[in-house]
Amino acid sequence: MDPLVIVGLVVGLALFFDFTNGFHDTANAMATPIATGALKPRTAVLIASVMNLVGALLSTAVATMISVGMINDASALKPEVVFAGLTGAILWNLTTWFLGLPSSSSHALFGGLIGAVVAATGFGAVNFDSILQKIIYPALFAPVVAGLAAWLATRLAYAITARSSDDDLATGRGRFRFGQIFSSSLVALAHGTNDAQKTMGVITLVLVAGGLQADGSHVQLWVVLAAALAIALGTFSGGWRIIRTMGKGLSEVKPAQGLAAEVATAATILASSKLGFALSTTQVASGSIIGSGLGRKGGKVRWNKAGQVVLGWVLTLPAAAIVGAISTAIVLTGSTGIIVDAIITVGVIIAIFQISRRNAVTHKHVSSELEDASEVVETKKQRKAAVKAAAKSSKGGKGKK
Amino acid sequence: MFTPIAWNNLFYVAAAALIATALVVALFSFGIRFFVNAENAKAKASKGNASALRAEAANRAVSYVLFALGFGAVIYGILLIIPGVIPAIK
Repeated sequence: MDPLVIVGLVVGLALFFDFTNGFHDTANAMATPIATGALKPRTAVLIASVMNLVGALLSTAVATMISVGMINDASALKPEVVFAGLTGAILWNLTTWFLGLPSSSSHALFGGLIGAVVAATGFGAVNFDSILQKIIYPALFAPVVAGLAAWLATRLAYAITARSSDDDLATGRGRFRFGQIFSSSLVALAHGTNDAQKTMGVITLVLVAGGLQADGSHVQLWVVLAAALAIALGTFSGGWRIIRTMGKGLSEVKPAQGLAAEVATAATILASSKLGFALSTTQVASGSIIGSGLGRKGGKVRWNKAGQVVLGWVLTLPAAAIVGAISTAIVLTGSTGIIVDAIITVGVIIAIFQISRRNAVTHKHVSSELEDASEVVETKKQRKAAVKAAAKSSKGGKGKK
Repeated sequence: MFTPIAWNNLFYVAAAALIATALVVALFSFGIRFFVNAENAKAKASKGNASALRAEAANRAVSYVLFALGFGAVIYGILLIIPGVIPAIK
């Protein structure tokens, strides 16, 4: 097959991965402001989309570093192998999206590429030390740190705004919603900067491997623009299933908790980025939501759902790697293999979308399901009134008997 | 054999995340508290109570300063994202 055709296929697939990355990760920034009513769902995804676009255009510093350290022999990343790796990442991303699991798009990409390289050239081509240091350890550590930070910040927010008098209607905690608009935008911006660059890196890598770009040269402008647009479009299409999970599935989020969770997510991502850890924004955001859920008195974390989410994290790297490896085995049989692999991938993508339409989740479902969570934190008076009403109704019930 | 964990880097991330989060959220929370104080004083001030009028102005001013500081921290975060604006930590 003409190398140009393979490069074209890989670029198209990489941009599609970028698109799935966008809609898979919309929830990272916008699940909590939607859950608390700080932003309407469509407005939230529009802001996230613009912020992702801007973030993607801000920097290309890490775009050329996608394989640095992870793969010992960069020449192992031939266009066919990258193609196979991308199919692994895309199929796993779509599977977790269908299940509503906030798994890491970055880990799916790394897993797909690692699996493809191992299948093509063996385990020796992969630098497992680097993977441990840059991917696995941070994956274990970052959600815990973000969770701790969100827990502490939630405690602080409630302690600072607490009112000692009986009449505590005016805690002003609903005003945390205004802060959420800024903090969630910051998370979306950080996401655009980090994740769009990974796609830019993959495309650049393939262009270099295909002899269409000099080794060591900068990321081309069209690559930057295409990747930025793809992630922005993906974000705008909204991953409503995952937004539902992160907005209410893990814990009921109130405005103060939402702000604490988003600031914790942004702070952890930014601090980690400075040290070159390949962090998953999804894992950090999930950790923050759980932390903020534990931080509020009476707040509950749905551990069953949290367990499913963690299982998704654990499986992401190996599952994407297995799909990437199988895809490589097909691709390496020659031109026919590439065509067969492309057909299978497109077929599975269409099948997942078709099945998902049977129980479609849209912004309308999300806003109605999250309506309860958008109420401001219950005050003492409201609690007393609720207790009185409950007592009254139970008395009435007994009287009737 | 496993590669030893770079504890220094992980400790740096943990400390920076904890401190930055606590700082920004505390600034915003105090801002809200002072803002609510100002709103409460406003009702009394409208009845001509001079001390309430001063309290409203002072609380409002402090709340705006705190909100501005919190917003400044967010801007600092954005500047951290843009390469070259703030030098990388070695």
